[in-house]
Formats: sequence, C-alpha cells, structure tokens
Amino acid sequence: MIPTDDLIVALAANMRPVRRLRPPLLRATGFLLLAALILVMIAAAHGWRPGLSVRLTEIRFALSLAGAVLTGILGAVAAFFVSLPGRSRHWLWLPFPALALWLVSIGYQCLSFWTPMLPDGASPGETASCIATLGLTSLPLSLAMGLMLRHAASFNPAPVIFAASLSVAGITAAALTLFHPLDASIEILMFNLGTALLMMLSGGVINLLVSNRVEMPQ
Amino acid sequence: MTTTPVLKLVKGSAAPLPRVREVDWSILMARAQDGDANAYRRLLESITPYLRAHAARCHRNPSDVEDAIQDILLTLHAVRATYDPARPFGPWLTAIARRRLIDRLRRQGRRQAHETEIEPDHETFADPSANLEDMTDIHDIKAALERLPSRQREAVRLTKIEGLSLKEASAASGTTVAALKIATHRAIRHLRQFFSGGSET
Repeated sequence: MIPTDDLIVALAANMRPVRRLRPPLLRATGFLLLAALILVMIAAAHGWRPGLSVRLTEIRFALSLAGAVLTGILGAVAAFFVSLPGRSRHWLWLPFPALALWLVSIGYQCLSFWTPMLPDGASPGETASCIATLGLTSLPLSLAMGLMLRHAASFNPAPVIFAASLSVAGITAAALTLFHPLDASIEILMFNLGTALLMMLSGGVINLLVSNRVEMPQ
Repeated sequence: MTTTPVLKLVKGSAAPLPRVREVDWSILMARAQDGDANAYRRLLESITPYLRAHAARCHRNPSDVEDAIQDILLTLHAVRATYDPARPFGPWLTAIARRRLIDRLRRQGRRQAHETEIEPDHETFADPSANLEDMTDIHDIKAALERLPSRQREAVRLTKIEGLSLKEASAASGTTVAALKIATHRAIRHLRQFFSGGSET
C-alpha cells in the first residue's frame, strides 16, 4: 500500500480535464431519441404490423403498449438519475407504475385471448423477422446504455443495470408489438432482466475473484 | 432545493459540514474538472481528514482505514465527470464514500466467514518445558488437586484434565452423569477457595 498523500499527488499529477456529464434528463432524452430513431428505421424497412390501427382502438392492447413504452421511458430516466452519486435512490421507483400497468395487461392478454392471431402459429419467416426486430432494437439500445452509463460501473452498478434493462425491455417489447402480430412481452422482459441478472452475477463473480486475488496473503 | 447539505454516514455521527468549506470544495472540484491539477490536489488533501473520520467508524485497523480512504479517492477520481458544480459537493462525496465503505465491509464479512481465529490459548512453544513445568502455578494446582476428596479429584481429572465428555467420563468412572456434574462443580468451588486463600464462599 502506498501512503495516501503519495496517492493524492499521483492522482493530481495524472489528472486530465474531464467533460462534465450533461443533466440526466437531457441524457435520457438523447437515449430515447436514439430509441425512437431505431423504431422509425425498422418501421420504414419492415412496415407496421397488419391491422395495427384496429388493434390500437382495443383498450387492452393500447394499455399494454402504453405500459411498455412508459416503462421504457421512465426506466431510462431512472437509470440516468440513479447512476449519479448523491442522487436519491428513490428514482428507482419511477418505472414501477408503468411496469405494473404493462405486466397487468400482459397477464390479461394471456388469460383472455391465448394466441388468437394465426391458426397454425407464426410462420418460420415471421418468427425470424420477429427475432431480428428483437435483436435490432435491444442490442444497439443496450450498447448505448452501457456506453452512456459506464461511469456507474465504478460507483454502484446493480440498480443502474436494473433500471437500464427495464427500459430496454420496455422499448423492445413496444417495438415487437408495433411490428409483429406476436405478443412476446413476457419473453422479452424475462430475456432482458435475465441478461441484467447475468451481468450483475458475472460482475459479482469477477469482483470476488479480483478481491480474493488482491487480498491473498503474500 | 436549498436543504443544508450534511456530510454524514451514520445518523447523528458526524458534525455538519461548514457551509463555507463545502462551497470551497465545490469550486475546487469544478476547477479540477477543467484541468487544474493544483486545485485537485488541494481538494483531495482537504477531504481526506473527513474521509478518515468516516472510515474510522467502519474499520478499527489503521491500515484498513487508509485502504478505505484510497479506495474512495480512486472511485472519486474515476467518476469525477459526474459531479455537477451547480449541486452541493457534500452529498456527492458522501454517496461515493458510503458505497465504497459498504462494499468493503461486505467483502470483509465474506472473507471473515472463511477465517478461523487463533486464540492466544492455542499458542504453544517449541520448548516442551515451556508448556509444562514452568507454567504458572502448575505445582500449586497439583497440590490443590491432591487435597480434594477422591471422588471430586477423579471427576476433575476425567472431565477437565483429560477432556472427556460427561457421558464418557461416567462410563469410565462408573458413576452417573448427575453425580459427576455435582462432583466437578464442587471440586471447582474447592479449588477456587484454595486459590483465593479461603476467602471465597
């Protein structure tokens, strides 16, 4: 261990000017604009799901979509706030009402009209393009979140990862609902939160390994 | 929001930060973000005593305390871009410090779960006589044991010196467990009386 005074001198000597982060709301808006751009691009390339305007008038469908979109938006806002030291942890509660709305409407869907869309299930081509949409939305959004929130890694990663993956899950599910006649919200939520859990667990394991190695007696 | 920022980790444990000082820190940090190394060094030097006071609440060992401070300083360095000079410096610093200290305590807890503490009683010396003849009062203890009634002496020998369990001792001596317990208890009381010069009742 080096003396603390020496560490301070070393830190000051190696310091480079940094650009301050913009306000969290602004950064969340930037992220959401990126998400909107991706959705518009997919809409242009793929087209909306058949009968979207009819479905939108159904209250359950509209609620589910609104829940997913709101979860995406509020989750992003929460992630950007929680990632900053000194901000209240209560921001984490922000996406929960929207998440509840989303989950309730998904549950309702499962009960009331179980796979109503195609008599012989989704065709292989439809499934493939569905998976493509899933990847095209959630991968770039996750990468963008990771880049924008990387400073949280050395501060307090777990709640940030949670809020961020909730946001990506919401946006991805909304995209899927808009473009495909499949209701895969539960799968997307499980997929995204499962990934988040995996990231947190692997982070914990790495942390454990590193700290064990560092603290190994000479 | 105009709440007075207070730098504390544990409720009621730290004195409120002098307002002037915190404004100073805020200015120093803002200048450090713009690349003023001198301001940065002054800032780190001036927050270190505060960090030390808080770390000292979590760690007893001085080297652990220094480790914790350095951990906090390194994290602060890594996330210095996240400080917004429009906001108070105290809560920002406290959040980082608290997070690091909690992480360290957790890690320490995990590590201690795998450790066995060695008590001084278990220490022994290479020279055999050190463990036997020269041990304090060994002869006095022997003499005191000789003066005990034979049943009590037998009970002490089996349960305390040879370290048998009550069941084993009862099998070896042919007495009941209850009788052994009573004999041991009386023997210890007698021994105590011998060593306190008969003053203890």
